[in-house]
Amino acid sequence: MSAPTAVGLERAEHPAERPAERPAEHPADGGAALRVVVVNGSPNERSKTMGLVGVILDTLGGMLPIETSQIDVYRLGPGFTEAAERDEVSPDVEATIRLAEQADLLISATPVFRGSYPGMFKHFFDLVDQYALANKPVLLAATGGTDRHALVLEHALRPLFGFFQALTVPVAFFASAGDFDGTTLLNPRVYGRVEMGLNDVMDLLRTRATGTHAPNA
Amino acid sequence: MAFEIGIMTFGEITKDPVTGVLPSPRQRVRETIEQARVADEVGLDVFGVGEHHRSDFVGSAPTILLAAAAEHTENIRLTSSVTVLGSEDPVRVWEQFATIDLLSAGRAEIIAGRGSYTESFPLFGYDLKDYADLFRENLDLLLKIRDRNPLTWQGRFRAPLADADIAPRADGDTIPVWVGVGGSPASAVSTGRLGLPMALALLLGPIASHLQTVELYREAAEQAGHDVGALPVSINAHGFVGRTSQHARDVMYPYFARGMMDNNHQRGEGFLLPRSAFDAQSSPQAGLLVGSPQEMIDKLLAYHELYGLNRALIQMGFGGMPQQEHLAAIERLGTEVAPVVRREVAAREKSAA
Repeated sequence: MSAPTAVGLERAEHPAERPAERPAEHPADGGAALRVVVVNGSPNERSKTMGLVGVILDTLGGMLPIETSQIDVYRLGPGFTEAAERDEVSPDVEATIRLAEQADLLISATPVFRGSYPGMFKHFFDLVDQYALANKPVLLAATGGTDRHALVLEHALRPLFGFFQALTVPVAFFASAGDFDGTTLLNPRVYGRVEMGLNDVMDLLRTRATGTHAPNA
Repeated sequence: MAFEIGIMTFGEITKDPVTGVLPSPRQRVRETIEQARVADEVGLDVFGVGEHHRSDFVGSAPTILLAAAAEHTENIRLTSSVTVLGSEDPVRVWEQFATIDLLSAGRAEIIAGRGSYTESFPLFGYDLKDYADLFRENLDLLLKIRDRNPLTWQGRFRAPLADADIAPRADGDTIPVWVGVGGSPASAVSTGRLGLPMALALLLGPIASHLQTVELYREAAEQAGHDVGALPVSINAHGFVGRTSQHARDVMYPYFARGMMDNNHQRGEGFLLPRSAFDAQSSPQAGLLVGSPQEMIDKLLAYHELYGLNRALIQMGFGGMPQQEHLAAIERLGTEVAPVVRREVAAREKSAA
C-alpha cells in the first residue's frame, strides 16, 4: 500500500497541493475517473491522518478509477494564513481552494487537536465559497489519541459540511493512535469499516466521476 | 502447553508509606536477587525484571540483575519485563542475554517492548519521533541475530552489519523472544504477524477488557500463516497473594496506591487510588490478581478460560512492598496457587483434546 504522502513535492505546482499519484488501473472499468481531493488537516509530514487516508484511497481505487490530489493546509503558507477573506489569498492558494471546490469527491481528513479539528483546517473551509460544496460528496475521516475522540466526526466535522449543504457520506472513518504502527494503519476493523462505508456510496460516486480516465498516464 | 506462573519486579525504590523509610539502592538490588531465589525455590516458572531509567528504580540494567539472579537460582526462567528495545542496540541486547543464557544453562528469555516510560530515548540519543520505527527495526535485527551467525544486515538507525560475527550464541537452540503489548490493536496485529509470543501488560479494568486485543493477535497470526495453537499468550499483571482475602487487600492496598501515585499521573500529578476503587478492581469481574490463594486460583483460571492464556507474570511488590511480605506472597504463589492452576489447566486441556 502506498499513501499519497509518498508523492514527491517537486512534482507539485505548489508544495501544499500534490498532484495525482494514481490513476489506479481498472481494466474492467472504462468509465471516467473520480477526481478525489483530500484536504489534510495534519501538520506532520508523515501522519496517521494520511495513513488512514491512504487506506481509504487504496480501497476506493480498487472500486473505481480515481485521480487524487492532496491539499496540506499546514503547508499553504502566508498567502493562506494571512488572508481573512477569500479575495486576500495569493493566486496559488486561490487555485488550490478552487481544486477542492471542483472535486468530484472531497475527503476531509484531520487529526483531533484540543477536542476538535485544528484551526488551520477550519480556516481553509472558512475561505471556501458558501455554495461551492452544495450537494458535493464529502467523506469524513479523523484520527485521535484515543477512541474517546471518535465523535468529532459527527459533532464537529459533519455539522461543518451541513452548513455547506454538502452530501456527506453516511459512514465516517476514525482511527486512534493505537490502531497504527507509526503511520501504518494495522487494525483490520478500521479496514473493514472503510470497505463498508465506501460500498454504501459506490453507485453514487460512479455517477459523479468527471475525470479523464487514462490508466497509463 | 504447560501453564507457567511467575513473578516480575521493577525494582522500585519507594518510601514505605507506613514507616516512612526509603530503602537504599544496595538494599533493593539484594532484595531483588532474593526474590528470584525464593521464587525459584518455591517452584515458580519465571522471574522478570523491568527496565526503568530513573533513580526511583534499580532496574536500569536488568540484564545485570538477571545475571546475578542466574547465580542464585537453579530452574527458574530469567526474563526482562520488558527490554525497551527501541532505545537499545539489538547486538548488545543479544550479547547480554546470550551470556545470561550460558550462565544459567539455557534459562534466558527476552520480552521486547516499546516501554511505557520514555526516559531511555533522550538518555541514549534516540528521537522519540522514531519510537515506532526504532522498535520495528530493532526487533527485526534482534530476530535475525537470533536466527543466524554471521549476519549481514542493513537498517536506518544503526551501522550496517557486514558478515558480522555476533557472539556468544545461545546455550541451547535459541533464546525465546516475546513481545510486550500494552493492548493497542496495532501492537497485537504486528506481533501476531511476526508469529511471536505475546506478553500482554494489564493494569486495571474489567477482566475481559483485552479480549479484542487477543482476538486481533490470533487473527493476524493465522492470516500470516503461523500456527496459532503453538503461540503462547501471557499476562503481566499486578497482584498479591495473602493469607486471606482481607489480608491480601489490606497489605497490598497502601503500597499499590503509593506506586500508582508515583507512576500514574493525571494533569501531570499523581493521584490517590481510592480504597473503594482498589476493592472494585479486586472483585471477580475485574483484572487485579489480589486475594487469598483460592481467589488467585479462581481468577487465574478465569483468565485462562477467557483468553486461552498460557502464562501469568504477577508483579506483587509494586509501590515498595516490604520484602518480608513480598517473599511470603511469592511463597504462597509458588506452593499454594501455582500447583493447583497448573493441574487444573492441564486437566482442561486434556478434556479439550
